[in-house]
Amino acid sequence: MHLSDEELKTLDGQCGPLKQKALEFIVKYANVLGAESLCRVSKAHLFCGAHHYLEAVRAKDMDEVMSEMWFCSPDKTPFDTVGCFSQSDCSPVDHLNWARMGCSEDEFRKNEQYLDRCLKAGVHLVGSCVPYMTGFIPVRGEHYVTTESHAVLMMNSLWGACANADGIEAAFCSAVCARTPLWGMHVPESRKGTHLFSLTCKPETVEDWDLLGYAVGLRLPPHSVPILAGNVEGADMVRLKSCFAAMATTSGPELCHILGITPEAPTLAACLSPSGLEDRVEIGARQLREAREILCDQQAGEVDYVSLGCPHYSIDQISEAASFLEGRKIHPGTTLHVWTALPIKAVADRCGYTKTIEDAGGTLMVGSCPLVSERWPAGTRAMAFDSAKQAHYIKPLTSAKVFFGNASECLEAAISGNWGR
Amino acid sequence: MKDMESIVIRGRGAIPGIASGPAMVCRETIQGWSGIDEATGKVIEKGHPAEGQTIRDVVLVLSGGKGSNGWSSHFHAARIRGISPCALVLPKIDSRTGVAAVVCGVPTVVDLEEDPFKVIENGDLVTVDGTSGTVTIRKA
Repeated sequence: MHLSDEELKTLDGQCGPLKQKALEFIVKYANVLGAESLCRVSKAHLFCGAHHYLEAVRAKDMDEVMSEMWFCSPDKTPFDTVGCFSQSDCSPVDHLNWARMGCSEDEFRKNEQYLDRCLKAGVHLVGSCVPYMTGFIPVRGEHYVTTESHAVLMMNSLWGACANADGIEAAFCSAVCARTPLWGMHVPESRKGTHLFSLTCKPETVEDWDLLGYAVGLRLPPHSVPILAGNVEGADMVRLKSCFAAMATTSGPELCHILGITPEAPTLAACLSPSGLEDRVEIGARQLREAREILCDQQAGEVDYVSLGCPHYSIDQISEAASFLEGRKIHPGTTLHVWTALPIKAVADRCGYTKTIEDAGGTLMVGSCPLVSERWPAGTRAMAFDSAKQAHYIKPLTSAKVFFGNASECLEAAISGNWGR
Repeated sequence: MKDMESIVIRGRGAIPGIASGPAMVCRETIQGWSGIDEATGKVIEKGHPAEGQTIRDVVLVLSGGKGSNGWSSHFHAARIRGISPCALVLPKIDSRTGVAAVVCGVPTVVDLEEDPFKVIENGDLVTVDGTSGTVTIRKA
């Protein structure tokens, strides 16, 4: 592998132990991939916080836990610097409404300690899975890392930026040493489409696009780059964030061309792999219906918990939820959480949407979600989501019924306390 | 290459070292979140062909990763608890499984010259040589 003088100096420890450990990991990773060199990373989006998976390390010392789980180093190496623009992904705690999540004060304080360490290292505490809605916008050809699977699809596909679905350890290491292997989506030749998905129906609503992503993912083999074609005119950022969140749940793509919309796919020829298409698949109303049947429990019943906002809601989605709830009341036996990013909540506060949701009995939450926090109200017997990603991942974690539907269906369920009646 | 007793598939050695164990063959990718229980190593993904089987001490033959970018962290948390495959065979490397291979640190062979899913079955005794880049299979 070719390494620059600066990289060799870092590996030699001349830039400090943290950068040395981080670059050692990235070089090992590059060797596993078969990369011949590294590229410079300018942005990092990081899974900061006292997440549950960190509890595997028995050490009480936060620096020991971070060293092992973020930098793969059994030696305690404090996280005290980043080498590029960095902001935080979701943490397991809403720092404003943690008690409403069922978090104890100890859990809140522990999470704050982790986040404070990240802040001191130079990470902006945005706390959201939608970095592209909060100032993290890599341009075409810019190399970045992110710990959020749908964010890779959004930023690679919509703007032609470059990242792989590396994982948490690689992302933290890349943030510190500002390098990642020059491989995969960082290389133009790897970004060509392999599978054509022709839409025989016209997805219109956010739910349609969510189900489309889920259905495409179910049919997409590993190591593929899908191309969506036909009836894609309704695509916008809100619809695509749901589509890509679902697609990156049932499969693992890092780029999705949308014919005539995304910058690398002005024509089929422009985005096609030189070896041609590996497969053509038609996706229509039947496939979307089947996806919904997989995601939504078929028996009607009472609902204890309704969660909206995966990926985190945009300001217009919050506005729509507030309009729906204006003058209405959530069922006393049902909890409603609407999740977003802190900067977006600031706007919702300013516009009065937060108060409208609160007046109805719901809460506008920030910085987390049920999946990341692995929390829902104690005793929940049935929950409803307007997100295929949440419904899909939470099903194996609970014996409660899981319902999936559009935002209006979920809000109606929150008001009536029932699904499908 | 095949002789009376074993079949050898060649690939690229990614993590050096030699380890042997029974094969756990996953032609289907395993998802990140809700894919593997970190405390037991069992596959918990609903409907996955390997649902209920554990990754502990097996040679994991896996087509690739899907789902969460935190894919490797679930293998990482399991390893810290003492649960890990003894070796990895990744027919075609990708970013999710690549990070997991580094995190697990077990002998790993990637980018195989032949399709292992046509050769290796669950329970076959497989030796992975991550230094030379060979996978040797003795049929169960």
